[in-house]
Amino acid sequence: MQKGKDKMQISALEKEANIDHIDSVVSLGQKAGSGIKKKKPDCKCAVIKSENFSFYYGTKVGVKDITMEIYPCSVTAIIGPSGCGKSTFLRSINRINDLIPHTRVEGRLLVNGHNVYDKSTNLVNLRQQVGMVFQKPNPFPKSIFDNVAYGPGLHGVKKRSALQQIVEESLKAAALWEEVKDDLKKSALALSGGQQQRLCIARALATRPNIILMDEPCSALDPIATSKIEDLIDKLQNDYTIVIVTHNMQQAARVSERTAFFCLGELIEYDSTAKIFRNPGKKQTEDYVTGRFG
Amino acid sequence: MRHIIRQITDRAFTILTGTSVVLLAFALLVILGPMLWRGSKAVIFKDTVEFRKMQLDLYNRGNPANLKVENAETESFRKTVYETIDDFKHGIDTEELIDRTKQIYRQLGKELRYKGVTDEEYQRIRSLARELRDRLQAAFESNDKKVIKENINYVLRYHLDENLAETSAVEFFTLAEDFQQSVENIDLNKRQQYAGSLQQIEEIIFHLLGPRPGDPLPALTMNRYGATRWDLAQKLLDNLLWSEKWIQKEAAQPLVKIRVSRAEEFAGTKLEPLFGYVQNNLDKMLKPEFTVYWQYFIDDSTPGHYFGGVGPEILGTLLLTLLAMLFVFPLGVISAAYLVECASDNIAVRIIRMSINTLAGVPSIVFGLFGLAFFVLFFIPLFGGPSKPCILAASLTLAVLTLPVMIRASEEAIRSVPQSYKEASLGLGASKFRTFMRVTFPVALPGILTGVILSLSRVAGETAPILFTGAVALGPLPKSLFDPTMTLSYGSYDIAVGDRLAMMVPHNQYGMVVTLVLLILCLNTIAIVLRARVSRKLRGQ
Amino acid sequence: MITNSAIQNQQLRPATDKNQSLVLTPLQDLGGFLFHHLGRLLLFLITCSSVLLVLLIFFFVIREAIPFLTKFSLTEFLTTKSWYPEAATPKFGALSLIVGSLYVTIAALIFAVPTGILAAIFLSDIVSLKVRDFIKPVIEILAAIPSVAYGFFAVLVLAPWMQNKWGFTTGTNALNASIILSIMALPTIISVAEDSISAVGRELREASYGLGATRFETIFKVVIPAAHSGIIAAIVLGMMRAIGETMVVWMASGNANQIPSPWWDLSQSVRTMTATIAGDMGETPKDSPHYWSLFAIGVVLLLMTFLLNIISEYFLASAKKKTGKS
Repeated sequence: MQKGKDKMQISALEKEANIDHIDSVVSLGQKAGSGIKKKKPDCKCAVIKSENFSFYYGTKVGVKDITMEIYPCSVTAIIGPSGCGKSTFLRSINRINDLIPHTRVEGRLLVNGHNVYDKSTNLVNLRQQVGMVFQKPNPFPKSIFDNVAYGPGLHGVKKRSALQQIVEESLKAAALWEEVKDDLKKSALALSGGQQQRLCIARALATRPNIILMDEPCSALDPIATSKIEDLIDKLQNDYTIVIVTHNMQQAARVSERTAFFCLGELIEYDSTAKIFRNPGKKQTEDYVTGRFG
Repeated sequence: MRHIIRQITDRAFTILTGTSVVLLAFALLVILGPMLWRGSKAVIFKDTVEFRKMQLDLYNRGNPANLKVENAETESFRKTVYETIDDFKHGIDTEELIDRTKQIYRQLGKELRYKGVTDEEYQRIRSLARELRDRLQAAFESNDKKVIKENINYVLRYHLDENLAETSAVEFFTLAEDFQQSVENIDLNKRQQYAGSLQQIEEIIFHLLGPRPGDPLPALTMNRYGATRWDLAQKLLDNLLWSEKWIQKEAAQPLVKIRVSRAEEFAGTKLEPLFGYVQNNLDKMLKPEFTVYWQYFIDDSTPGHYFGGVGPEILGTLLLTLLAMLFVFPLGVISAAYLVECASDNIAVRIIRMSINTLAGVPSIVFGLFGLAFFVLFFIPLFGGPSKPCILAASLTLAVLTLPVMIRASEEAIRSVPQSYKEASLGLGASKFRTFMRVTFPVALPGILTGVILSLSRVAGETAPILFTGAVALGPLPKSLFDPTMTLSYGSYDIAVGDRLAMMVPHNQYGMVVTLVLLILCLNTIAIVLRARVSRKLRGQ
Repeated sequence: MITNSAIQNQQLRPATDKNQSLVLTPLQDLGGFLFHHLGRLLLFLITCSSVLLVLLIFFFVIREAIPFLTKFSLTEFLTTKSWYPEAATPKFGALSLIVGSLYVTIAALIFAVPTGILAAIFLSDIVSLKVRDFIKPVIEILAAIPSVAYGFFAVLVLAPWMQNKWGFTTGTNALNASIILSIMALPTIISVAEDSISAVGRELREASYGLGATRFETIFKVVIPAAHSGIIAAIVLGMMRAIGETMVVWMASGNANQIPSPWWDLSQSVRTMTATIAGDMGETPKDSPHYWSLFAIGVVLLLMTFLLNIISEYFLASAKKKTGKS
């Protein structure tokens, strides 16, 4: 509760990139983290490992030669200027990039030990295990219940009672249950932007993935909705591996344990969040986090 | 100065463009307005007792008891008309009178034999009767009043003859008296002229009031009833009161048509009061009443569309359009789904798109030729069906005609579904097929339905493709898919140009075409409203 | 909000009891492959039905016309005026029919093109969006009215009026048909022209207004030239609509097999190709020279409209290229 209030205070005050603020945020996070962010012994988490992974749109480079490991049960942020390939990399993890024609891949991208770009990948199971939340909230034009129940329905849950339970649990986990529990039949499009995004998170959680990918989830939301979602991320990281792409450096500093800095399609630096923001190894990283470009 | 010219041209231009749109709206009004007005008269009009009689006889509608009462009421007024005419006729229709005298003479002969008189008496009475008959004939045929008087008086001298009493010969004397009376006021020279006019008048009365009570029923249904509509009756009344003549107003100029009052023409005769009487009492003779003949849309029509409605035509149109949609809907939606979801920009897809555009441009009559050459003569016989125009062939032809419309509308609808839905669904682990079935298609459905309704309205109005593939102008209700049918579209054409009978019932002509136009306008309005709602929903996101 | 959910959170954990394997079994792989490719093949084949239908149309119409073309001279068909198919020695000169079709079409376009383009300009540049959304349904209603209703109007209202008020010898003539055809072609011309004029975009207009041009000058000197491909396409499409129209010309043109004798005399009756096919076919026995000749006329019609279609496609494509829209 205390942590939440502090966080909200800080986010309400901040206007521009400023290393002092980031510093205090990071230390706050670390202090708080020491209390809650313990790895649970029965954490069934997954690992994402990329080995010299490259992605090409035709001849144009999306990302080049990315090698990094994402640790289980944590939040990893990917930051960088526009067009640097953060979203490309993220969307490769669950192969949602397949929608784009004329693309090419090199290297390996392993999720839970299996190269997802292998020909024999079971995409349905992959996407059940790797959930995604998009930049602009995109709930289906169906009811709240149907939105959340869509995923489990695909993967075999047919019984009404089981679906109802999953819907309730997902909405609670996404901190939306209290606000919508009275009318689950209401159209999802009638919710506010922040509520819709939380609904999308609930929808992604309903398939019970172990990895959640978030592609700039708060960029279309107001500050209050943003902070609610950041609280949510903080809560979820106990059980899920979360990879979040963000434009907002303060957000990265607030929520993540490790941060990766991409630039022009390459992974420049990947380290703990504290180190990236306080003591970056590469000059490019330092230039970016201090606001000299970007 | 130049500035002012530019401003003026600008204003003028604006007004010009506005005028063109106003012209359009005006054209729409001019075309639709009168048609809708006249067509509505097929359903909403003032009917007459003749109409109610016809409805009872042909369709078993209405209250027989009420109708009987009405009939009795009109009888008394009509009687006067017939009597007046008959009276006048006796002075004019000499042919008939002569025939009558001959008849009486023969009748007399028979009666005499039956009575059993002696031979001598028989001869005597017969000769007397013959002489009377001849005298009467002379009187009837003569144009000279003096001759007539002489002969009639001669005949009348015998009217107390006991030999002729209690026989049909008595009628000689009534004929003589009547004739004398009617001839008093007539200008005998005009007899020919009167005879001609009288025939016209009798015909008009026949059309107005129907066959005379007691006369045998005419064979044709349309002749069994008088004027069924009050407006028709008014028209006939006008024909009764005024006749048209062509006269030469000026020498060496074409003849000019003028109207002559018939009352004046028959001035001074026994027929003169007829016209005033009919004019003043027509409503009592026909009992007009406002009615809404909604059964127009259900009733079959008597052959020739003289009576009745457009029920079979509506049925035919509905059958053809719904059957065509049945064929074209899956084909169109699946093609659109393929083009949006699966197709890449290779040569095959470009050929497909070119074909769709070509289909859209083929003239409708060529579709008719195709339907005839392919469906009627080749395809249906291939599966063992009969090789003749039928509903199946016509609806298949219409389906081919409307396929491009369906594909285009469905493609637009499916393409307008936001990509984000697809991404969200795939991200949750759905396959492309399930994404389409459970997310894309339901969202695109209203747009697809708009396409369906637009196709329906297009197909309902098409005439050329069904001319040789399945439509007939008049015929029985189809019993199977292999029978041809009447439709609103072809029926409208036929009733406008082909059917001479239909010219007499303009309300039926307009009624049929207006039914078609209203059907199509309804469908289009629904489509427009649906499309507005869909675009509002998508834009509001 | 957050305190309670810590306990509840324990229930919604990543699934452990599900089929976790990220590798497809060979069976699943094969099944997916088959479903995907066979499915796409099936959809492709169904979509190819359009191609099949076009080919069938051409094939069957030409097939029924071939007996005519082999037995009778093509040049006589296309260049002579005597169309006496039921005479003792039948003559099949379709020139007056072809000319008749072109005659009423061009006459219709003379009226429809200026009106249509002006109306398109009105809709795209002069009125607000709301008024435009109000007028567009009016145009759609004009387009939706079936041709037989137009023909009805032409024969029962316009023809008597022409005969009585204007003293024409006959009310069903080329003028009658042209007027109605122009009204029918207008919606097509307006909607395609309006689309292409709107597609020119604000930038060009803003540039012109910024230099001080009046609206008339902007439209006439900048917008219309920029949209000229689309406008030409609109005209060609309107022409296609007019040439292919059957019922109206059958009912309203008088069906006299002649070419009007001072060529500008619209008050004479003409006969079009479409009306000939529609009118003659009902009484023609199958597989007679007359029957084949009607299909030959159909081939001429088909080729004409196909050509016009290609031309319009070309202009539409070039219009799209210019504005860069897809």
